[in-house]
Amino acid sequence: MAGIASRRLQKELKEIHTQGCPVGIQLLNADNFEEWHLSLEVMGESQYQGEVFALKFRFEPQYPISAPAVQFIINEKYKAPVHPHVYSNGHICASILGNEWSPVLSVIGVCVTLQSMLASCKKKERPPDNDRYVMHAPDNPKKTRFHYHDDTV
Amino acid sequence: MQSSDGETPPEAPRLESADLPTAEGQETLPTYTGPGFVTNNPELASLTPAQLYELNQGLLDEAVPQRPLIDQIVPMAVLRAEYENGSASFTKQIDYLVSQSYTGIRRTRGDGDCFYRSLAFRYVERLMNAADPALAVGSAVSTLEASLPMLEAAGFQKLVFEDFYDTFVSIIKRIVQPEADGTTLTPLLLLEAFQNPEVSNSVVVYLRLLTSAQIRTDPDSYQDFLFHPELGELMTPREFCETFVEAVGKEADHVQMTALARALKINFSVAYLDGRSADGHVDFVNFNDGIQDELEPLVLLYRPGHYDILEKQSEDTVI
Repeated sequence: MAGIASRRLQKELKEIHTQGCPVGIQLLNADNFEEWHLSLEVMGESQYQGEVFALKFRFEPQYPISAPAVQFIINEKYKAPVHPHVYSNGHICASILGNEWSPVLSVIGVCVTLQSMLASCKKKERPPDNDRYVMHAPDNPKKTRFHYHDDTV
Repeated sequence: MQSSDGETPPEAPRLESADLPTAEGQETLPTYTGPGFVTNNPELASLTPAQLYELNQGLLDEAVPQRPLIDQIVPMAVLRAEYENGSASFTKQIDYLVSQSYTGIRRTRGDGDCFYRSLAFRYVERLMNAADPALAVGSAVSTLEASLPMLEAAGFQKLVFEDFYDTFVSIIKRIVQPEADGTTLTPLLLLEAFQNPEVSNSVVVYLRLLTSAQIRTDPDSYQDFLFHPELGELMTPREFCETFVEAVGKEADHVQMTALARALKINFSVAYLDGRSADGHVDFVNFNDGIQDELEPLVLLYRPGHYDILEKQSEDTVI
């Protein structure tokens, strides 16, 4: 019998193929059940008008019981958004990806939450501890013990 | 902020249960005075005692081999021995439980899921021990089937809960329906299933979703009791459920327990071993859905911050 992660991801993929992604979100790559890439754009008026970002999801065999490792992709094509909860290495400080993760969330659910996090941003700036964090950050953001920032930013 | 070097991610900070006993007259919060470490590392030096404690705890958790998700029954004497050099009020209460014919304890890992895991294990175990297992299984499965529309009404997508549901129901059905290899559920297979993280955690997640759906679809019954366990502020059903019911590893409190008894249509009780009774007796709090059934009682043992199963049987008689 297939593992729990691949069973669930198969269903999520099927739903994406049959129902499509919400506006502003696109599946870039889902060739396996270990890593998916999606693009993210904030629709309407926002600090990020005209910018397109990409997210990398990494799944453990225990997904969706364990949270996926989610970060913004940084390469020639994509940059991390300048946001008080997003570090310049693409790591995201969001409680739903840490101690408030719930299996109720899906890949699309996480994208929608991050989309609204960007949409509600009033001032484009990096987290105050960006430089110190990025210097010591582990490769996998799940290994970071974030102290979650104020949600109202 | 810290990043740990270990392979496993640090566990999410645990919330203390809101009904933890507070010592009377004690005004100052306990501070971390344990073996401190002297460091020139400015990152560590800038941490508060609470953060240091948490960090230290995280490292300890990673260093100590973990207890199984759920274990075999051990005699009460084993539990008693752990308190013998400590609190006499605890040993008195343990003796009281023994006098009430509770002979053993089946322990669960202290990972924040212990209430749900203990309850689920015992829930299946007593269906297996029922005088008429086919009847008990049939009635449990029909209650669970009937809960599916409630989950959808609570706003959960089918793809979010169906795998967890299937896992839970297939364990229960296996009590009476042989697997492809011809075997039905035995006590040993039940224990193995609940020690397997994928199976065990799937069942825990299903009970969390069931609890959440019960609260979300009947907000009038619960909304006056949905307090933030640390801040004491009232929360909306949605906020409460997202943060303290659906999220993995979040301890259950009275509200969640009441809701789950109702959703599963079961009665259970919790024995409070808290070292706070003058004469050594133990309070049992009943969570009753008003159901009359012929099943063995489902009794959990609460010690501050943790739930295990209280047993009137020993490992020899179970296996």
